Formats: sequence, structure tokens, C-alpha cells
Amino acid sequence: MLKSWKLKEVVLMSLFAVVFGIVYLLFVHVANIWAAVIGPLAYEWMFGIWFIVSIICMYIIRKPGAAFLSETMAAAIEVLIGNAVGPRLILTGVVQGLGAEAAFALTGYKHFNILVLMLAGIGSAVFSFVYGYFVSGYAALDPSFVALMFTIRVLSGAIIAGIGGKYIGDALLATGSLRGYAIARTKKGDVNA
Amino acid sequence: MRNLLHNMNPSVKFIAVTISMLTIAFFFNPWTPLLFWVSILLLQLTMSHINWKLWLLFMLPFSIGAFGYLWTTVVFGADTGGTIIWSFAGINVTDEQWAHALSLSFRVMAFSSLSLMFAFTTDPVKFILSLMQQLKLSPKLAYGVMVGYQFLPVMKDEFTQIQQAQRLRGAVVEKHSWQRILSMRRVLIPMLAGAVRKAERSAFAMEARGFTGEPRNAYYRPILLSRMDFLMSFVFLTILLTSCLGGIWLS
Repeated sequence: MLKSWKLKEVVLMSLFAVVFGIVYLLFVHVANIWAAVIGPLAYEWMFGIWFIVSIICMYIIRKPGAAFLSETMAAAIEVLIGNAVGPRLILTGVVQGLGAEAAFALTGYKHFNILVLMLAGIGSAVFSFVYGYFVSGYAALDPSFVALMFTIRVLSGAIIAGIGGKYIGDALLATGSLRGYAIARTKKGDVNA
Repeated sequence: MRNLLHNMNPSVKFIAVTISMLTIAFFFNPWTPLLFWVSILLLQLTMSHINWKLWLLFMLPFSIGAFGYLWTTVVFGADTGGTIIWSFAGINVTDEQWAHALSLSFRVMAFSSLSLMFAFTTDPVKFILSLMQQLKLSPKLAYGVMVGYQFLPVMKDEFTQIQQAQRLRGAVVEKHSWQRILSMRRVLIPMLAGAVRKAERSAFAMEARGFTGEPRNAYYRPILLSRMDFLMSFVFLTILLTSCLGGIWLS
């Protein structure tokens, strides 16, 4: 899978993973404090933030694996920085990355418009919810409460990760630093953009 | 004895931690996570030398989170039947609900201390090297992650620099926290643009020095597997089995 990747794309993902790893950790702390007040619902509306790196990286690099690898890397960086969620974050990252990756794979890695990006956010939300259902034991909660959590998470994935990811990607493109990446090439010809 | 956890092969430790976690997730009785939590604490007390003050500080937010789980499970828990043990403000709490709530909270505590054990006893660089050498992670990815990790302090400096530069030009510091979250974009975009340029430069430098990203047989810093690692995995497995069986037996 990595054969077609340039080293600079791998390193780019890694550096984005560092920036967002820090952002993610900040929000883990914010969410933990909220969670004491309103319970697991606190995590739900913020979940989109934790999916954003996979969408930004895929939007920029546009190669199979960009979503999965970047999310996993961000989780690995979070573990390297040292935090109390620990190595299981890597597993969470893998699951979330696979969710976004699945959405891009469904569209054949050909379209990167806002709808596909939102779909990727939803993909992450659904995958992470299934994983969370299992690991955090949502089965012990009331089904209607679980349904509410699921709805909020999907919305958060579509809005914060999907729309937010595109917004950040476009803003970054406007700075001109992304020349030499797939996003700049397709924008010129206005194909699939 | 106090070095055992620190000297354990990081990949083996990672696998042991992951397997324990996924297994514990199957149990909804309060005893399994409690037993597991206590054993992990004992393991850490006897086999590692860590800064316990720092450990407590890290545990604090998770204890708060665990409390959140406790009360929401009591209030929003699934209707499972069982006898009512107490009611409060119109909410009837059954013994099964209470057991579930305790179980989920203990699970949060067990998982956090397990994770902290890993974080406090593992050297991050050795962990990546071990992932590459034992678990055959692609060197392109492994070194890519390490480049990112080495840039951490640089990023931190850059963050303050951008903020100071913006303040110098008269950017207002927002009062409300939600405004501050929205204005994160102002710092985030320059940071990311800087990251893109750094990535290009370091990738170029690596390639100029002959890094191809091909897998290899010999490493400058070999991370080894020893007999101790098998022994330690056995210890982990014993703890896991004991808490699973003990939990079933006690409940």
C-alpha cells in the first residue's frame, strides 16, 4: 500500500498527526471534565473533532490509506506524548480511521467533494460507535439513550469532521503551501474538486 | 524486580495490554474490573519505579469521568429488572442496575490504570522501534512518526511564536471559552502551513541521506525479545484469567 507513497506525504501525515494529536488531547481533557457533569453524552458532540485529521489528510493527499494511516498516526502520537488514555487510543484511532477510509473507498477515491467528506465523518462516527458500544459497555444503558448518543455522534462527525475538515483543507490550500500535493493539482483543472 | 515492567519489550507489553482490555470489555459484573484494577495496581507497585504523584494527577480526570459513568448508568441504565434496592428523587435503582453502574465505573478505572502503566513504563522511541522490528511496521511509517515526534518541541515554540506575533499586531484575545475555541483556526492554519513546509524539508533531507523506506534486516538500535517477556506475558494472562474467573465466581 505504501509503495505509491512519497516520503514527503508520509512525513506530512505525521506532522499533521502531531498538531492534531495535541488538539485531540486537549479535547479529551475538556470532554472528561464535561463527562462528570453530563455523563457519556459529553463525548458525543465533540466526537467529530477526533475524526478530523483523517478527512484533512485524505482531502490533501488523495491516496488510498491516507484516512486510516493519519488517524492511526495521530493516535500513536497521542500515546507517545504520554496520556492517561494510553495505548488503547491506537485501537480507537485504527477504528475511526477505517470508518473514514471505508467512505472514501466506497466512492473509489475519485470524489472529494463536501458530501463525500461528510460521509467519511459519518463513517468514522458509525465505526467508532460500534467499537465504543463494545468497549465502553453501552449495552448496559437504556436503548433510547444509546440512540440519542448515536445521533449526536453522527451529526458531530458529519458537521465538525466533514464540513470542518473541508474548511481547514481549503484554508490551507489558500496559503499556497500545498503545491506539490494532489489537492492543488486537481483544483487547477477543477476536476472532482 | 522494580525494572521488570520497564524492561519488557514494548510490543509484547502493547499486545498484553490490548488483549486484557478487549477481554475485560465482555464482563458486566463489578468484580472482574475491580479485581483486574487492583492486580494492575499491585503489579505496578511491585514491578516498576514511577512517579506516583504524577500518576495520581493523571488518574484524577479519569476518576471524575468514572463518577460520571456511575451516575448516568444509574439514571439512564437499561431496564434489566431485579429488585429495587433504593429510590432517590423518583428514580428506582435496582440491584442489577447498580451492579452495571459499578462495573462500568470500575472498567474506566481499570482501563486508565492499565494505560497509565504502559505510558509510565515505556520509552516512546523504543516503542516505535519495537513496532518496526517485532511487528514489522513499515520503516517509512515508523520513521515518519518519529520525525513528527521529534518536531513536538518545535511545534510548541511555533505555537507561542504565532500567538505572540498575532498579539503584537493587535489580535484580540477572546474572553469566552467558546470564542477561543472558534478562534483556534487563526493559530491552526499557520501551524499546519508550517507543518507542510517542515514535512517537505525533512523528507527531502532524509532522502538526500539515503533513506529509502525499504524494510531491512539489521538495525542500529536493536530491540530484543527475551525470556523475561514470555514470563511477563504469562503474568498478565494469569491476572486476566483470575479476574475473569474470580468475577464470575463472586457475582
